[in-house]
Amino acid sequence: MTIEIDRRPLWLLLLIRAGRPIFFLAVTALFLYLVAMPTPAGLSVAGQRAIAVFLVCLVFWVSGVVPLSVTGILAMVLVPLLGVLSKKDTYAIFGNEAVFFILGAFILAGAVMHSGLSGRIALNIMSKFGSSPKRLLLSIFILAGVLSFFMSEHAVAAMLFPIVLEISKALGLRPGKSNYAKLLFFALAWGCVIGGVATFLGGARVPLAIGILKETTGRSIEFMDYTIAVFPLVVIMMCAGYFLLTRFFPIDVAGVENARGVLEKRLKNLGKINFDEYAVGVLLLVTVLAWMFLGRSLGLATIALSAVVALFVLKLVSWKDIEEYVNWGVILMYGGAIILGTALERSGAAQWIVHTVIGKWFTTPASVFAALSLMSILLTEAISNAAVIAILLPVSVGIAGKLSIDPSILTYAIAVPAGLAFMFPMSTPANAIAVSSNYVSVKDMAIGGFIMCIAAWVVFNLCAYFYWPLVGIGYTR
Amino acid sequence: MNKKILLVLSGSGTPDEAITHAAGRAKKEGATLVALYVLESAQSKEAFETFTDIGFIGDKPSSDISESLMREYRQRGYEELGRVQIKAMEAGVNFEPLMEEGEFISIVLDVIDRLDIGAVVLIKPKEKASFMKYFSKSIVDTIKERAKCDVEIFVEK
Repeated sequence: MTIEIDRRPLWLLLLIRAGRPIFFLAVTALFLYLVAMPTPAGLSVAGQRAIAVFLVCLVFWVSGVVPLSVTGILAMVLVPLLGVLSKKDTYAIFGNEAVFFILGAFILAGAVMHSGLSGRIALNIMSKFGSSPKRLLLSIFILAGVLSFFMSEHAVAAMLFPIVLEISKALGLRPGKSNYAKLLFFALAWGCVIGGVATFLGGARVPLAIGILKETTGRSIEFMDYTIAVFPLVVIMMCAGYFLLTRFFPIDVAGVENARGVLEKRLKNLGKINFDEYAVGVLLLVTVLAWMFLGRSLGLATIALSAVVALFVLKLVSWKDIEEYVNWGVILMYGGAIILGTALERSGAAQWIVHTVIGKWFTTPASVFAALSLMSILLTEAISNAAVIAILLPVSVGIAGKLSIDPSILTYAIAVPAGLAFMFPMSTPANAIAVSSNYVSVKDMAIGGFIMCIAAWVVFNLCAYFYWPLVGIGYTR
Repeated sequence: MNKKILLVLSGSGTPDEAITHAAGRAKKEGATLVALYVLESAQSKEAFETFTDIGFIGDKPSSDISESLMREYRQRGYEELGRVQIKAMEAGVNFEPLMEEGEFISIVLDVIDRLDIGAVVLIKPKEKASFMKYFSKSIVDTIKERAKCDVEIFVEK
């Protein structure tokens, strides 16, 4: 046995070992200082404490030292403990409609995956339309996008990844060298990202944003109104993404016969479509229609939870199946984020930040919209999109109040760009798996992603300026 | 005792020149060519955690992704080892394939110690910008510093 001596300086070794405790001690010290310091003029004690909690959560969300959901729990603990909100209010806000909508949507997506329906649809479409390299690429891109209209984009990425990996293998594409492999994995990742912003179902961020909006202003955005507002952006970005990818990485394979073999083999293994798949498909369709047309009267969460009950009544899933597909941390993360946002608003902290710190930067509604959407799209490249919303939305509600802007508009300005994470593996799980496959490098993703990020921001702002007034959405109240 | 030359294969494809060079050196020195492919489980674990912690996706789909990645890496490992075997046969040298799972640096150093390797050929990606080199040392440089045998670095073009 050999013993290896670490010859690095002692102070460096101690610093490395003590890094985590030092970090937590520093954050605790900062928190205590913020709580104990003299309250600034114009700010209430509750507001000061809300800002302290907000900053601690911000540091944890950005640094990722603890899971996102644990930071959500921390917000839930600190807000009543410091008297920012009462215990009763805190836990009542945790039971927000948005949290139960998110939960219902995740369970429904889990049931769709468990039934095998989503996989069957994906394989059928790829097999039917993927007859040439260009068509196969397009079918993966559009499929990832369209499936993300109906279920979490992360679930879509998880479902399609093994198929795309097998296709790349069957085509003999070399990791890091093959342009076509890069195209396939980018199509998967970016398809999910772009499609994920089209409806409330692509991710939990839009329901979270609406939950905060509703708690703080009483206003809301309906399922259908949101999709109508965002759809042109989705279509334009899908076209821009395809154009950019095929210019950056020209197709370097002649045929995709072997890929078709993979798809056909997988389809054969699935066998014939069964009752469960039909039933889950019909239930999903009915639920989406209900969200679109009855969401305002019945409530999105009520519809989502009714669909969940129907899943069990029809014996389409068992509780164990659902546990395998849903991570319950989702409730804690989003519940905690809504509590934090509400605490900032109700304690007057958000208004104070707007009036004393950032209010002077913005003068017109268009400039506010442009600046907030830019902040959101840049932040989401580095941190979780839910964290972006929890950080920016409460402040934006304050700005809306000051400049007489409709707060719903600023909710769009933050919630939509927060989903458009194109640049880095840590931005979103779909990007992470594209890179971990080794077919796409971080450099490829950063360069292409930067162009997409800027293009998305410009298109989004142009849509808001020129298209939204046509569908009855304006900057001002 | 027969000398052993270790060729550490790259996860993103080992250049032909590096394989030819290692096989040529083994022949010249009458050594056995040992090819090592490291299955880096950290990457698949990271994929799992990304999906569960950020995507809030359940264990099943996250595990499926993680397993797909490991299957893919293993398959690539067999292919890479196969390429080296062909070159070794062409050069007429003894060949020993190895595939081990774990953290890259510790696996390579452990194999060097365990098999009493005489020389190791490592593949280094293209040079980083000098300011990046200041902040992070490459894996290859770390192994060179800590390995108790002759280390030859093959820089990818």
